[in-house]
Amino acid sequence: MMSAGYNPPQRMIYKRSFWPVVVALMLVLPAAHAANWEQPAGDLAKQIAALTGPGSVKLTIRNESSLASGEIPGIRKLLERDLRGFGVVAGGSDSATLIRVTLSENLQGGLWVAEVVEGTETRVTMLPVSLGATVTATGGPSLTLRRTLLMTEPDPVLDAQMFSIGGVQRLVVLEPERIVSYVRNAAVLAPAGTASGNWIEDQHFAIAHTRPFPRDLRGELVAAQDHLFDAYLPGALCSGTTTGVQITVACADSDDPWPIGASQRAFYNAMRDSFTGVLAPGFGMELPPFYQASDIPRPTGTGMLMNGVDGRVMLIENNVLKPVNGGNDWGSDFAVIRSECGSGVQVLVSGSGAAAMGDSLSAYEIAGREAIVVSAPLTVEGAVTAIHAANDGASATVIVRRDAPARYEVWNGSAFCN
Amino acid sequence: MGRRFVISRGVAWLMLACVAASACAGTRPHYGGTLRIETQGDPWQMPDGIARRLVLDTLTTVGDTGGARPALAMRWESQNADHRWEFWIRPGVHFQDGEALSADAVAAALTDTCSHTGAGCPWSAVHGVGPSVVFTSDSPAPDLPELLAQTQFGIGRQDASGAVVGTGPFRVTGFANGALTLVANDDCWAGRPFADAVEVRTRRTIRDQWLDLSVGKTDIVEVPPELLRQAQQQHLNALVSRPVDLLALTISPSGAFVSREMRQAAALAVDRTALYNVIFQKQGEVTASLLPQGLSGYSFLFLSDRDLDRARALRGGANASLTMLGADDAGATMQLAAARLALNLHEAGFNVQVTQAGSRQPPTLALRRVHLEAASPRPALDEMLARFGQNGTVNGTDAAVLWQAERGVLDNEAIVPLLWLPRAWAAGERVRDLRLSVDGEPLLADASLEGAK
Repeated sequence: MMSAGYNPPQRMIYKRSFWPVVVALMLVLPAAHAANWEQPAGDLAKQIAALTGPGSVKLTIRNESSLASGEIPGIRKLLERDLRGFGVVAGGSDSATLIRVTLSENLQGGLWVAEVVEGTETRVTMLPVSLGATVTATGGPSLTLRRTLLMTEPDPVLDAQMFSIGGVQRLVVLEPERIVSYVRNAAVLAPAGTASGNWIEDQHFAIAHTRPFPRDLRGELVAAQDHLFDAYLPGALCSGTTTGVQITVACADSDDPWPIGASQRAFYNAMRDSFTGVLAPGFGMELPPFYQASDIPRPTGTGMLMNGVDGRVMLIENNVLKPVNGGNDWGSDFAVIRSECGSGVQVLVSGSGAAAMGDSLSAYEIAGREAIVVSAPLTVEGAVTAIHAANDGASATVIVRRDAPARYEVWNGSAFCN
Repeated sequence: MGRRFVISRGVAWLMLACVAASACAGTRPHYGGTLRIETQGDPWQMPDGIARRLVLDTLTTVGDTGGARPALAMRWESQNADHRWEFWIRPGVHFQDGEALSADAVAAALTDTCSHTGAGCPWSAVHGVGPSVVFTSDSPAPDLPELLAQTQFGIGRQDASGAVVGTGPFRVTGFANGALTLVANDDCWAGRPFADAVEVRTRRTIRDQWLDLSVGKTDIVEVPPELLRQAQQQHLNALVSRPVDLLALTISPSGAFVSREMRQAAALAVDRTALYNVIFQKQGEVTASLLPQGLSGYSFLFLSDRDLDRARALRGGANASLTMLGADDAGATMQLAAARLALNLHEAGFNVQVTQAGSRQPPTLALRRVHLEAASPRPALDEMLARFGQNGTVNGTDAAVLWQAERGVLDNEAIVPLLWLPRAWAAGERVRDLRLSVDGEPLLADASLEGAK
């Protein structure tokens, strides 16, 4: 677990450079989306013209893909314009040449199919087309949760954290078999949802381990005091150091306990997906296995919030283990973040999976022994597989697994006052 | 049957598959417990035997978008214009009896598979070279990584007692009273499965399976596509795959169907709409293509409309000698479908009689249900061509090339695709995180049980 408030200068750099990009992206996206069809329309028109040659044609377009019907008139206009450029004039209802365009799709994306019918002969040409993606967000009653897509990866992602190395901002991503460092590609303003967005891979390192990882693999990137980071995995530990602006990573088998707070570490069960319940130095009490734990500021000092394997939420305060009420809807993952709203400390929690579809993020505050929800649930398309407090302490890295096709999204989640 | 209708069903199924496969887990899976599953068939049969997939791993697996992903092979490389492939074996993997997995063991297992399947393998030779397995073939094999993900190429060997052991998440421990028992492989390279054991009860009728599910005697049961509506009415928690089984009529070029015109007449006479609406209860998609619409994006180009007048015209006054039509399984649904097809052909003037399944003489007309494992267009087309006994590999990857290749095969009218059907399974309340593989089989190693610790 990240120690809250660590490395504040990174936060400033991060916020300064990040939000303008997000805002610019939001402004640019609609226009970029409308312009998405220029290239495929031109390419298809060229392919059609190669089959028909110049002349008058009858053109029909039907949509059998996931494109919104509102997009079709625009595509038709583009296609007609581009066909005219090749001397093919659409509109002749009594033309002997019929061009039947079907906007279809397959698992790889869009597939635009044009059938050129002349008498009894039908010729076909096809064009693969990228369909793009969209981003949504919702608000809440006392504070609003916001999430920003950092990147999308086809391979599983366990954690991702932002680091500043020699003034260069890097996104370090922990995958099951490797650690990847990305740098910003300022020249590219890629639409959110495309692979890796505006980050480009800079370095990667294989994670050496001799024992098999558990099937439900968990891992965590933790900022270190005397080097850049430690990556904790079940039965393995990797350390990241810097040489100039380059990162070096060394991995080894390890059963060392993972940091779960400023002064506590916990042993992870290398065959399972949870901590054993054994802490170092510990609180002098026996604890049940748990999924996640984190320091949380309390009126009397610092407590420790834990999410048990049995589904119970617990709080250790003044060396006393107390159950927390109101955590029935909590999923297995949470992160404690700071904000300028409410008590100033919120717990960002995934949903319990009770919903028929999708997952959610909600913010809670812990008042006494009560977990009180302080935001409307933020709908997540997919399943939240991990939440880790970010280095800035004010936000969290949220990993979401999406299906069909399988992919992993790295989000930055934070809370804002209403 | 309009083309638009065909496509909309395809897209709808794709969406349903996505919904069914979506995990909504916010809580982590629990370890422990015994997962109980019931099936009608043999859990060890190829290509869809449940137990086979639990015990044996393949060199690669198929990802959601269809590409090959590492499994027992960590990486691979094509050489000599796809005539030679080298696959590097994942280190540190052990068979369930403790013996280390080696390239030689992989080569031996695959050689054994090729000699037993009889259908041949898409390579000429395979051998181990240090940490890698090398495949060579006379013709290019561009899709070998995807083909090696097929269940038939699972890597196994016999242990000292003669039992088959693999590297998969479960190992077989016994078969008694119609139930196959498998226990978790703690040392599985992909991680120990969540359930401690899986019990597969075989040869169970659908009625018995559903009854057992309703009284909590089992956790996962089959739902044939024609019973999906009924399953929904009974509020079963059903997971539905995308279309993965092709129902097709194969016509042997002999007897009354020796000429292409006669086969074309038969193809035009079949009423896919009736099969779809009545027998398969509007599940899946009507097709005249070897690939589902959601996979190829172009299957609507193959017209599936019935044209009885043209069928009669093509048949003309040809001699109506008796032709036998058989289904490849004795299930009531397939027999019903065969009877319906015989009626269609009779309306076009053919003299067709349905034979009972298992008759010695291979029928001229065969109703087959063919399973598709691949999930990207070219490997899928290659797989379907192989399953229908067609030789050769499709060259090129773009949709237009695949369509041309498929059209070339179907123009012979020896294969008449009818319907693409999904696979479906229903799970009990205590099953968590159950998802289906891209070819519609339940991923039991990734499922867990509620309340297990």
